[in-house]
Amino acid sequence: MIIIHTKLANKINEQKIEVCKVPQFFRNKRLIILLVSIIILVALIGFSLRDREKLTMPEQLIKDTTGFIQNAISKPANYVAGFFGNLQDLQNTYIENKELKSRLDDVTRLEIEVQELTDENKRLSEVLEKKDDYRKFNPLQATVIARTPDQWQEQLTIDRGSIHGVEKDMAVISAQGLIGKVKNSQQFTSTVQLLSTSDSKNRISVSVLGGDKEVYGMLEGYDSKKEMLLLKSVRHEDKIKKGQNVITSGLGGIFPEGLQIGKITEVFPDQYGLTQAAYVEPFADFYAIKHVMVVKREVSDEILKEMLEEEEE
Amino acid sequence: MRKFLLPIILTLLFVFESTFVELFSGKFIASGWIVTPRFLIAAIIFVAIYVGEKQGVFYGLVFGLLFDIVYTEVLGIYLFLFPVIAFLVAKLMTFLHNHVVISSMMTIIGIAVLEVVVYQINFLIRFTTIDFTLFLTNRLFPTIILNIAFLIIFAFPLKKQFEKYAIELRNK
Repeated sequence: MIIIHTKLANKINEQKIEVCKVPQFFRNKRLIILLVSIIILVALIGFSLRDREKLTMPEQLIKDTTGFIQNAISKPANYVAGFFGNLQDLQNTYIENKELKSRLDDVTRLEIEVQELTDENKRLSEVLEKKDDYRKFNPLQATVIARTPDQWQEQLTIDRGSIHGVEKDMAVISAQGLIGKVKNSQQFTSTVQLLSTSDSKNRISVSVLGGDKEVYGMLEGYDSKKEMLLLKSVRHEDKIKKGQNVITSGLGGIFPEGLQIGKITEVFPDQYGLTQAAYVEPFADFYAIKHVMVVKREVSDEILKEMLEEEEE
Repeated sequence: MRKFLLPIILTLLFVFESTFVELFSGKFIASGWIVTPRFLIAAIIFVAIYVGEKQGVFYGLVFGLLFDIVYTEVLGIYLFLFPVIAFLVAKLMTFLHNHVVISSMMTIIGIAVLEVVVYQINFLIRFTTIDFTLFLTNRLFPTIILNIAFLIIFAFPLKKQFEKYAIELRNK
């Protein structure tokens, strides 16, 4: 009897040890913390990659608060950098002045030509009774106060927010041309996503100038190796060639028509050979951006109103 | 007054990173280099080494979350990586001689690990399409040079301030 008892006891003990071995692994507190935090990491990334209409309230608050500090630091820093920039400019003044003087004659001629053309355009538009002009827009001046340091996503923070009338998806331009669109807007600051971000959701409807008829396409993505924008979905029968200018078409909805984007440098057939694609060299410099303009199309509200009225009828 | 030393230094570095990129990003682009300032994580690693692991992880969490919200708008990446890297480097430093040069070297290794992991995550979620060799030559290499320069200038003052802070913390 005693022998059986001890055998049983041994067996039970062995089982106990085996049972204990499994929790031993999980008892390691740090490992659990690591595992849980990896799960949270994946969940959070998934949450923020969704097509979010708006940032959550705490996020907006934090962005606005840091916006104030960024504003306070970035303005003096820019001032100092600007001072050294001015010194550099002074050195080149003589040569630049010479060159500019030679161009001045052309400018007066061009000015007169532009004046004539705008007058004519106005007259013709009146004849046609063309009411909604997609080209009209209200520019809103803004200053860049920050840029994403890790530079995987090219984003800027500007010092104008929804309180000044900035809304999601509005076009943002610099003096040279289109640079991006508003990704999110908070009360006092907004985030601008540059065209140089390789985000597949970033699509802009564009048209190519200088051909016999109007050619439309989509601007999709950016080739970071070549530093060129990608123009896609141009119909096979449309002719595009190197050197033609690309502007926004105004068909997308929020962007106005006629914002300059870049010049075509290379045309090639698309992946499946059904459409054409091209590399577009942007006019705007995506670096060293200090002042930008947020652009709101004037006509969109009127069209909306008209549509609503028609629906009511 | 020393109580607010860590938050003030870290906040300044946090904002300065973006100002640095805003001012200087265009200067290097002609050579194809993209430099990333990693001053904030360097300071957080120094906090973890010279003040304490607990403080390092705490500030890593806080500023990682801030970094995600304010700059990248993708939550989670830096919130996870800042504290983990600060903790690991501080743990490694317990086996090594506690000299400022060695801790700077470990900090640079920490920054390199951070860069590689962030690249991998961005590659996974398709925010970038560049291949690994291009990443090494155009991003990692220049980034490490910039941060070595930063540490050469600021490693010793940071160490001194943090050690003073740690002594005061212990005396309380």
